[in-house]
Amino acid sequence: MLSYNFKYELKLLLRSRWIQLLSLIVLLLFGFSAFNGKQKVEKRKNIIVKAQEELQESDAEMLKLLDSVQRGMEVSASRWTLPTSPMAVGNYHPRVASMEPQPMAFVSTGQADLFTHFVKPTATGDDFALNFTEMTSPVQLLFGSFDLAFVIVYLLPLLIIAFSYNVLSAEKESGALRLLAAQPISIPSWVMQKLGLRFFWMSVLAIAALILVFLIISIDILAQMNLVIGLLILVLGYMLFWFTLAFLVNLWVGSSAKNAVAMLGLWVLFVLLVPSVLNQLGNTLYPMPSRTLMVNEMREVKAEITKKQDEILDNYLRDHPEYAINDTSQKRSFWHRYMASQQLVKEELEPVVSSFENQLQKQQDWMNKFKWISPAITVQESFNHLAGTSSEDYENYRKQVMAFAKNWREYFVPLLYNNKEFTQKSYATLPKFQYSSASYQLVPVALTLYLISIALFGLGIFSSKRQKTKGILN
Amino acid sequence: MIHINNLTKKYGEHVALNQLTLQIKEGEIYCLLGANGAGKTTTINLLLGFTTPTSGNASINQIDVQENPKATKRFLAYIPENLMLYPSLTALENLDYFSGIAGKKLSTKELKDFLEEAGLQTEAFDKRIATFSKGMRQKVGVAIALAKDAKVLLLDEPTSGLDPKASNEFGLLLHKLKSKGIATLMATHDLFRAKEVATHIGIMKDGKLRQQFVSDDISLAELEKVYLNTMDYKEILL
Repeated sequence: MLSYNFKYELKLLLRSRWIQLLSLIVLLLFGFSAFNGKQKVEKRKNIIVKAQEELQESDAEMLKLLDSVQRGMEVSASRWTLPTSPMAVGNYHPRVASMEPQPMAFVSTGQADLFTHFVKPTATGDDFALNFTEMTSPVQLLFGSFDLAFVIVYLLPLLIIAFSYNVLSAEKESGALRLLAAQPISIPSWVMQKLGLRFFWMSVLAIAALILVFLIISIDILAQMNLVIGLLILVLGYMLFWFTLAFLVNLWVGSSAKNAVAMLGLWVLFVLLVPSVLNQLGNTLYPMPSRTLMVNEMREVKAEITKKQDEILDNYLRDHPEYAINDTSQKRSFWHRYMASQQLVKEELEPVVSSFENQLQKQQDWMNKFKWISPAITVQESFNHLAGTSSEDYENYRKQVMAFAKNWREYFVPLLYNNKEFTQKSYATLPKFQYSSASYQLVPVALTLYLISIALFGLGIFSSKRQKTKGILN
Repeated sequence: MIHINNLTKKYGEHVALNQLTLQIKEGEIYCLLGANGAGKTTTINLLLGFTTPTSGNASINQIDVQENPKATKRFLAYIPENLMLYPSLTALENLDYFSGIAGKKLSTKELKDFLEEAGLQTEAFDKRIATFSKGMRQKVGVAIALAKDAKVLLLDEPTSGLDPKASNEFGLLLHKLKSKGIATLMATHDLFRAKEVATHIGIMKDGKLRQQFVSDDISLAELEKVYLNTMDYKEILL
């Protein structure tokens, strides 16, 4: 039966204008969304490149000034900005800590439209309170980005529904089912084969469309083979889930109209309702503290600390005798007091800052606990991870920036307290930021997705054995 | 070939088929006559395993229909009132598909021979079914039965909606199948065609087999009279 179903299902699909249109739609959606995603990535890359170029210009200017000062020449720059002062370099020539887009970034915008992709931590900046979020259009946030992940997670199930909702009911309604049921075949097996073949052809179409799109937008498939395979495994797993649902609906529901309503209901449930309810519950159970309140609190702490900066500096030097001993001049400026107070500010604000991080972590834990209710969430999340645009990626980037900001400050503190100048030679020793992407285990996610589909499929087989042909015909 | 023994089907209080017993041997054509709701289609549905009997049993080629429906379907072919095939496939492709899923792998020549034997014009072999008349679709249905090498043929109102020529052609086809030894059970309203093709005729009313004849023992006029009397159509002038 399989070989005949295989041969004639393909013929029927190829001769159906509706399927031809559907295939064209898949190609167009994949193409447009990938192009759209690629454009966003290019924009992001350009912003980073521009920032790097500005830094290079600024560094060249700084080195020129250093050279002039070291040669004893008159320079027109103000005293505060002279790069011989370590704090001037630390504050006015910060490095660009950028998060370069990953090779698959075009697949999913993820959190990319909410966060910035480069920051310039300064030696005296409040890096612990760095704001990584960007101003975004609320309209765009409402509708999301039209990227490949959106097409696959939101739109592909709709195409699968159109492709599969009436496999059995159409035969029933046309009357062909009675002729089929008069053959020595099992109708549930026949439905399973028909849907299996439609899944196969849809998979061929999706894989071909994806590879075509990758080639058109110049993605080096061979270089990114692991990521491409990971992406394809996820897409096929997600498609299998929807085809399995279609199998159950075809067996359990009835007329084409009822099947279509049932499938669309499942789409609303899994793609819209569950993700938004979980998100809403996460926000309600673990609300984020007000950022404005945190900034206000930070200002109050700073104001308090400024009043007793001399005392703080004394305490700081007591804790760091190496600075007091090495500096024979004992010249103490604004920066000495400021840097000494920074540690105290950080300690005072630690509970406020960590409450943000804790709440965010709790929200993420909540989502992680329940994400399996909807494969749409897990697949979207996995796409974000593959693209390097997930919440975890941005959190990883934020932590790397924090660590770099600490290195940057610590580089200048000894120079400051030892009253040493920054020189041309020092330039080569400046800390550099290199973003390293977080690793992601796709296998457990993909495996769970396939297991869910297999379990649902088993349920369909089990129920069809009880239902038998007579139940299906009625 | 077909053995039906005290077969009864109830839907709640309604008795759709009441203790039907009949036998159809090789090369026999048994026509079940009766008004709508007489139990003709229920009988066919029970033989196809589409519904379960309340009591009684039926067997095809000595295999119980309820116990082993899949095995019995290897021996039977079924042509419903409106034979719906795949409209976007050609006659040849439909025949190949249905005989294929029934386990018969046939060459194109064999498939063409069956279509020809069923009386379909050669030029229609490669035309899509969507363009076919009901009579032409019935011929493809007969070709499916031939290709399947069916021992039993179940026909549900096969001539309704056919013009006299197509109906006559169908009658001739049934004679051909009879000569091949196929046992046929045909549910119909068409007394004339029943008299023409049947070896045996049964009249059903309210799920019960009221009268049975050997076709040769009764004329068409007598059959009509008995039929109307059985149906209690007393005010109709004969």
